[in-house]
Amino acid sequence: MLSFQSSKNVLSLTEDLLVRIYELLAAESDRKSFRLVCREFRRIDTLTRRHLRVIRIEFLPILLRKYPRLQSLDLSACPRIDDGVVSLLLTRVGPGSNSPILGHWAWGLKSLVLSRATGLRFSGLEMLARACPCLESVDVSYCCGFGDREAAALSSAVGLRELNMDKCLQLTDVGLAKIAVGCSKLEKLSLKWCMEMTDLGIDLLCKKCVDLKYLDVSYLKVTNESLHSIASLLKLEVLGLMACPLIDDVGLQFIERGCPSLKVIDVSRCEGVSSSGLIFVVRGHRNLRELNAGYCLSELSTALLHQMKNLNHLEVIRIDGARISETSFQVISANCKSLVEIGLSKCLGVTNMGIMRLVSACINLRVLNLTCCHSITDAAISAIAYSCRSLVCLKVESCNMITEKGLCQLGSFCLLLEEIDLTDCCGVNDKGLEYLSRCSELSCLKLGLCTNISNKGLSYICFNCLKIHELDLYRCTGIGDDGLEALSNGCKKLRKLNLSYCNEVSDRGLGYIGRLEELSDLEMRALHKITGVGLEAVAVGCKRLADLDMKHCEKVGDSGFWALAYYSKNLRQINLSYCGISDMALCMVMGNLSRLQEAKLVHLSNCTVEGVELALRACCVRIKKVKLFAPLRFMLSSEILEILHARGCIIRWD
Amino acid sequence: MDLKERVCGELQKEVPKGASFTKFNTQHQQKWEDPSSTSDYSTRIEPPFQAFNQTSQTQSLLLCNNQIKVPMQDGSVNDLLQASKIQDWDPSAMLNNLSFLGQKIHQLQDLVYLIIGRKGQVLGRPDELLVQQQQLVTADLTSIIVQLISTAGGLLPSVKQTLSAATTSLGQCGEFGGVVFPSSAQGLNDGVQPQNAGGSKVSEPPNSVDITSNNGNEQSNHIIEEHELKDEEDAEEGENLLPGTYEILQLEKEEILAPHTHFCTICGKGFKRDANLRMHMRGHGDEYKTPGALAKPTKESSSEPTIIKRYSCPYAGCKRNKDHKKFQPLKTILCVKNHYKRTHCDKSYICSRCNTKKFSVIADLKTHEKHCGKDKWLCSCGTTFSRKDKLFGHITLFQGHTPAIPSDEIKAAPAGTSDGATNKVGSVNFNLSYVSSESEVQSSSMDIKGGIDDAVGYFSPLSFDTCNFGGFHEFPRPPFDDSESSFAFLLSRSCNYSQKSGEE
Repeated sequence: MLSFQSSKNVLSLTEDLLVRIYELLAAESDRKSFRLVCREFRRIDTLTRRHLRVIRIEFLPILLRKYPRLQSLDLSACPRIDDGVVSLLLTRVGPGSNSPILGHWAWGLKSLVLSRATGLRFSGLEMLARACPCLESVDVSYCCGFGDREAAALSSAVGLRELNMDKCLQLTDVGLAKIAVGCSKLEKLSLKWCMEMTDLGIDLLCKKCVDLKYLDVSYLKVTNESLHSIASLLKLEVLGLMACPLIDDVGLQFIERGCPSLKVIDVSRCEGVSSSGLIFVVRGHRNLRELNAGYCLSELSTALLHQMKNLNHLEVIRIDGARISETSFQVISANCKSLVEIGLSKCLGVTNMGIMRLVSACINLRVLNLTCCHSITDAAISAIAYSCRSLVCLKVESCNMITEKGLCQLGSFCLLLEEIDLTDCCGVNDKGLEYLSRCSELSCLKLGLCTNISNKGLSYICFNCLKIHELDLYRCTGIGDDGLEALSNGCKKLRKLNLSYCNEVSDRGLGYIGRLEELSDLEMRALHKITGVGLEAVAVGCKRLADLDMKHCEKVGDSGFWALAYYSKNLRQINLSYCGISDMALCMVMGNLSRLQEAKLVHLSNCTVEGVELALRACCVRIKKVKLFAPLRFMLSSEILEILHARGCIIRWD
Repeated sequence: MDLKERVCGELQKEVPKGASFTKFNTQHQQKWEDPSSTSDYSTRIEPPFQAFNQTSQTQSLLLCNNQIKVPMQDGSVNDLLQASKIQDWDPSAMLNNLSFLGQKIHQLQDLVYLIIGRKGQVLGRPDELLVQQQQLVTADLTSIIVQLISTAGGLLPSVKQTLSAATTSLGQCGEFGGVVFPSSAQGLNDGVQPQNAGGSKVSEPPNSVDITSNNGNEQSNHIIEEHELKDEEDAEEGENLLPGTYEILQLEKEEILAPHTHFCTICGKGFKRDANLRMHMRGHGDEYKTPGALAKPTKESSSEPTIIKRYSCPYAGCKRNKDHKKFQPLKTILCVKNHYKRTHCDKSYICSRCNTKKFSVIADLKTHEKHCGKDKWLCSCGTTFSRKDKLFGHITLFQGHTPAIPSDEIKAAPAGTSDGATNKVGSVNFNLSYVSSESEVQSSSMDIKGGIDDAVGYFSPLSFDTCNFGGFHEFPRPPFDDSESSFAFLLSRSCNYSQKSGEE
């Protein structure tokens, strides 16, 4: 009776209060629990829901009908979408089943994510662009078939402000010109890997879309001419030039004089850029917030350092791969007091003394990347821990000299630490993990190749760090089933787990893994003790499993794969190479898993050519990437290869 | 046409007056068919050798050397430099200069004699001719003075050490001439003047100093390719000959349209070009094979006063007709021919590629055909461009214009690999997941007005019935009634499958 009373109280809340409560729920899982409470709560959910990420395309019509106030629709998880689907959605799916208003759901839509929708072509895009008059943001990244005609279709969405066209390989200047002329309000544009793009297109873009605030031309073969055009963009704040091989210091000179609002620039991996080019940039932009110059500097020169004295607002600097001296740290710490992130990955000359000088003044550092700075010891870690109390992320991969002492300091002072990468740090042991477990906010922990840790150490972590969602135990040979038991009891939120080469893990351990309901990524290569029983436990338990790598799990039998085929409906990527899967099981896995996009099927000793052919036929409409044993190239029928090719599937022959 | 090309064209057109000394040549002049013209490579920028009326040309050449050729053809310029240096100290060159001056003075003497002689004979219209000849004499005299100065200057090493020094000295010469004879008609024309400003105006096309209507040079003009002559016609627009300073000829329509102008005196065969006629004549006997007979008919002695000939179009009312108020004469016979055909004749040559463009001059058709179909850069406004950057420049300039994606491309692509294969996939998809009688709806991916039944096909997860494999009944069957048939279909279509592979 009492419980009824209390629930009555919750239900008696007015609608607007419920909406407020609902809006405060950040995590998707919490919202799911909320809408499962009762009908009224569910109604609140449908009324207030703005964003929808569809996992299974078959539910899309129902979902669209149910959520009439959608503003953001993410279809990246169902790349099967094509022109026909779009047409049907727009003509058949209204607010009511026989409503005269067609495609009502699209009216309020502002954001649309169509990433990897390789089946979508210009007619479908045109329909979408016409049906969504409020469209402001579109993501068509990794649509390999997206070309000029698709761009032309998309350009009818005149209100577009954000557009992501990463890796639209067919896109040329003509398509970009269409976009630039059609969508002149564009503020954010990403053109990474649009390899056909040239200076002409960029130039036109800069002339037509003068409101651009964000422009990413990374990996393009554009020259300094483009930088000349880009420099005329008065509102540009973020400029990505990563790995543009034809850009050099002369081009950066244009940037010095232009782009008055520039705040973030990324010139990492630009072969032609040297410190003199960066001097131009730094000299022209005193208000720079972020400078990413990884792997393009051989040395942090004194001239550049001299200019960097003026960057008082600099928050992020990455100079990965450069040689840096102790005095440089002194200069940086003395001038860039607001530094929040520093990337020194693979830098030469990073010493304890240098780090101590850096952190003496830069006490606001939150992200510190010291990957492969081999001369770092506990002294530096202690200094970091003592100075930077708000440290969130520390990457010290391959810093062998770090021991439990350093971790003790971290555990004592850096209580906000969320991510730590201790891969290949041999000095880490159970004691160290015990200290580290005091960082209760820890969400990402990488312990790969830490051979000195055992189940005991892991259990400390599992007991205290309940927020962990990513754990890497690659080749932690000391970890066994008991450790996984602790894991399944403590880290319920685990989403990503790497157990590769943890030879001690057996079916019992996988049974514990099966209790992790949130788990979506599981890598368990070469676990020789596990059989079909273990895999079945994982398949049954981990409903959200999307990425499974079980290369070299040779003892797993068909029963496991059958279970996988039946239960792991959300599986998106799978690696079955060197597994003992049979023809039938393979066909079932490939045919039944309707979300499967990528499969690696190399060296399947129990499979025949016919089996592989049949499996490919079963999944050909949705598979996007498949890796096959090279001799199969000539043994598979040309028909299936053609079909795969036509559906935009990439085949890698190994 | 870019500057270099234009200047070359200019040089080809400008046939020098004093044929013996001032053969002009550039390394670009491959089309020049006069065999004698190749001889002057080393001396061509030697200022003392230029007759004064060539100064402007020389200057333009030198300026071109400075402006264009230096960055591109360093080697050749170096050669030029060396050549000029060597000859700076060559006494024989000096002697040449002097003898040239002597000859020039002799020519002048002859001219004056001639004037005196004619004075007695031609009483009819003495004034006009006299004025002309007076100008000619003054021009020649000026030329001699300039030559003298430059020859003297050549002795001073400092003046000619560098090419730029040579240029300035020439510039001064030009200036000199320009100041003395601002409006003299022959030899000196207005083209000299704008160029005097230290080469800054080279980019504007120099007014041509064209005296090509001399008999001896005519066929050389014929040999030059027609499309260059088109430019000549254009360049002539700016020509500013004083009316009455040239002779106007008007050919009849039939004469203009006649296919041949040179006829064999023996067999009567007609030729377009004199050179071709001479080649033909060799067949008529050994006497036509002598170098003399094969050589280009030489010009008459330059002591003859040359009177500029200009042509009028026979079409009444045409601007090129001499009765027109703003008459603009045509420069050569070829200009007349092209002009008449282009303006007053039917355009009978149709481009076989685009079937739209028509031409009356076959050379124009050929020029067009070279580029026809290359204008693949199309703007939404319908304008085509041969180059992408031109199209993008156009789009930048005009609000709302976008590059058009050619419609045939749209048609071709779906018909080609991608969509054809998609169709196949579509049908396979259907047959696998949901056997639909309306698979024909799928066959065209753009026309998607299929029945609502198709929706199931689109949205249903494509799956195999696990039970088909037999022996595994732990998991319930997916709800597909027609899975048997779809599976059978699959087997029948897959490569050489026997039914047993499904049943094992």
